Amino acid sequence: MKKILLLLPCLVHAQDSEWLTYGLNHAGWRYAELNQIDTANVARLSPAWIFQTGINGKFETTPIVRDGLMYITAPTNHAFALDLLSGRPIWHYAKPIPKGVNLCCGQVNRGFAIRGDTLYKVNLESTLVAIDAKTGQQLWESQIDDVKLGYSATVAPLIVNDMVVIGIAGAEFGSRDFIDAYDAETGKRRWRFYTVPAPGEPGSETWTGDAWKRGGGSTWITGTYDPDLNLIYWGTGNPGPDLDGSVRPGDNLYTCSLLALDASTGKRKWHFQFTPHDVHDWDSTSDPVLIDIDHRGTKRKAVVMANRNGFYYALDRADGKLLAVKSYTKVTWADSIDPETGKPNLVAGQEPTEEGNKSCPGMGGGHNWQATAYSPKTDLYYFTSTDGCAIYFKYAQDYVEGLWYQASTVGTIPTEPAQGSIIAVKPATGDIAWRYPLVSPPSAGLLATSGGLVFGGDREGYLFALDAVTGKVLWKFQTGGTVIAPPITYSFRGKQYVAVAAGSAMLAFALPSQ
Amino acid sequence: MSSRRFLVRAALFLSALAACAQQQNPLTGNRDAIEAGKGMFRIYCSPCHGLGAQGGRAPDLTTGQFSAGSSDAALFAVVSGGVAGTEMPGYSSRFDADGIWRILAYLRTISGKPAAPIDGDPAEGGKLFWGKAACGSCHRIGPRGGRLGPVLTSIGRMRSASYLREALLDPGARLTPGYNTVTVVNRDGSTIVGVEKSFDAFSATIMDSSERFHSFLAAEVRSIQRETRSLMPPTRLPARDLNHLLAFLVSLRGAE
Repeated sequence: MKKILLLLPCLVHAQDSEWLTYGLNHAGWRYAELNQIDTANVARLSPAWIFQTGINGKFETTPIVRDGLMYITAPTNHAFALDLLSGRPIWHYAKPIPKGVNLCCGQVNRGFAIRGDTLYKVNLESTLVAIDAKTGQQLWESQIDDVKLGYSATVAPLIVNDMVVIGIAGAEFGSRDFIDAYDAETGKRRWRFYTVPAPGEPGSETWTGDAWKRGGGSTWITGTYDPDLNLIYWGTGNPGPDLDGSVRPGDNLYTCSLLALDASTGKRKWHFQFTPHDVHDWDSTSDPVLIDIDHRGTKRKAVVMANRNGFYYALDRADGKLLAVKSYTKVTWADSIDPETGKPNLVAGQEPTEEGNKSCPGMGGGHNWQATAYSPKTDLYYFTSTDGCAIYFKYAQDYVEGLWYQASTVGTIPTEPAQGSIIAVKPATGDIAWRYPLVSPPSAGLLATSGGLVFGGDREGYLFALDAVTGKVLWKFQTGGTVIAPPITYSFRGKQYVAVAAGSAMLAFALPSQ
Repeated sequence: MSSRRFLVRAALFLSALAACAQQQNPLTGNRDAIEAGKGMFRIYCSPCHGLGAQGGRAPDLTTGQFSAGSSDAALFAVVSGGVAGTEMPGYSSRFDADGIWRILAYLRTISGKPAAPIDGDPAEGGKLFWGKAACGSCHRIGPRGGRLGPVLTSIGRMRSASYLREALLDPGARLTPGYNTVTVVNRDGSTIVGVEKSFDAFSATIMDSSERFHSFLAAEVRSIQRETRSLMPPTRLPARDLNHLLAFLVSLRGAE
């Protein structure tokens, strides 16, 4: 028996490459040093297996791939472990959703985190659970906060040392949001940083009256981590209520911001607010990606974000100073961003009104939450964009605890349907290298590989590969369901795979055997 | 939990939802519920029913008259399960029962204004539809008529009168989704124009004016252009005839 056990590690190929965290590395690159699939042979990429989850809903997971298994979360508190060779399920985790969970955007989940043999995921009812990776058995459950106050959880956790860091959703329900760190062994909370300060705390001067209590600032997309600076970078969402800013005069810190938090204490090191006093629901929750850039001849440690407000930003990730900013889509709400202060030079008459008022970009942005990718090989940063405008409405809505508190809505412009694109920018400047047009607003995230490829997907169901240098499409596959999740890649037994969730299925692709 | 056990539980949950539908709205008149329901209505319902529920791509909900019945249970069933054969989706996977009751509690506060009568004769409108106005060459009512444009069998249930009037006068103003105009230029320079039936980054299927389907791969043609405009010409009728035609369209309520 012992001999067999000793032989088992030999089955793990020496060059096997796994996917162990949401953004593939702590910097959030989603770039894999895998080039078995490249620009010359990607046209032959074929399905290896398809796993049908049988679970309806928006399937947004970034899988974890480790030690011969793939771990995926599905909508409505489901999760699976799949065998990497066959795609067959090994275990299935499910948890009923209790009554009274209010969600803005579907019963979604964006993935596991893993540490040792323990998986971590959030459940919709605002809980964090630890799950045994071998069996799918739940080890512990921690209540993050009270669903009656509008809280819910959809984010993929981030492992930082011996902690599980998570964000929360709820800004459409008048919640006051936060970033939490939990002990990975016990599930006990180590620290919490409220993204909306209480009276007397720094930043509270940017709120009026008791509006802070319903201030929003959700944190529903996974942040990144710089171990050298020991800083966690995490974006924050809209202030509440979304569209009626009259009840919350002030800049409304730290909503629509990027936060740099000391990983050990959860204390704020710096913040950068992209959209002060947002009234268009332009969350700044997009991936904060850590890239070292050449800034006017000097190497700078930067954090970049394609913001929902229509501008691309590069900041110094040690102090939050603005290094570069450039619009990547049609923007009408601001003329420009002040290069010194980082504040927008606002255009008058762009706010929501009772009758409706046009502004660009639309409510979803710009770039929204879809995962981005950075290739050090091309030195290009890749992200999706919705290119269009919306009619923004507001009205005076009374707050009712835990219930919808958006204070109106947006309308589309029937004769100007929004378009979509995948954009490659030079991270140091935001200059656009290429733009790949999508026929409708983007749905899926991106992946870059050293094979010179960028993988993406679309609302119509295609998974496709683009030339990372030119943006030219080199391969496509109709998955039969909208691709909402980001593709990932890994190697198993010496073979490179590309995998993605589409519709309610998980699909894996590889080159045909010779 | 196995998938089968989950399905059983899901079925039980849906049965429980259906049971709720038998009840009266427990939140009628509840101020907080009405306020939250108004917010939800604006987000989820107003894109089709209009900001004040006055109708648009979907019916006017301020008249107090509802196609599926006016009881709480009937309205709950509509919001929960949608209306088959129309564009009204079900919201049971998005809202729990209380959420649906909140929307309905709000709806009751704005319902009761009778629909403004249309000064037209549906019978005269029918004659125009099949005759001088030639609507029937592209639109279908029951088994009769063309198939290039949207089927109008139940259009009086599905659209407000104001939307229909606008659609007659300016068909491209609020195009029904899926009815874009697509122009394909073949490699030999020949052009074909039709109504979009399927469209993605790599292919298109259109129906031409003789109701034939044509499928194209983008890689095999010179260009495929999609435009947000209608192939339908604006209706040029005297005001009186326009009202007849409108009255006819409003009277089309399908098999009720």
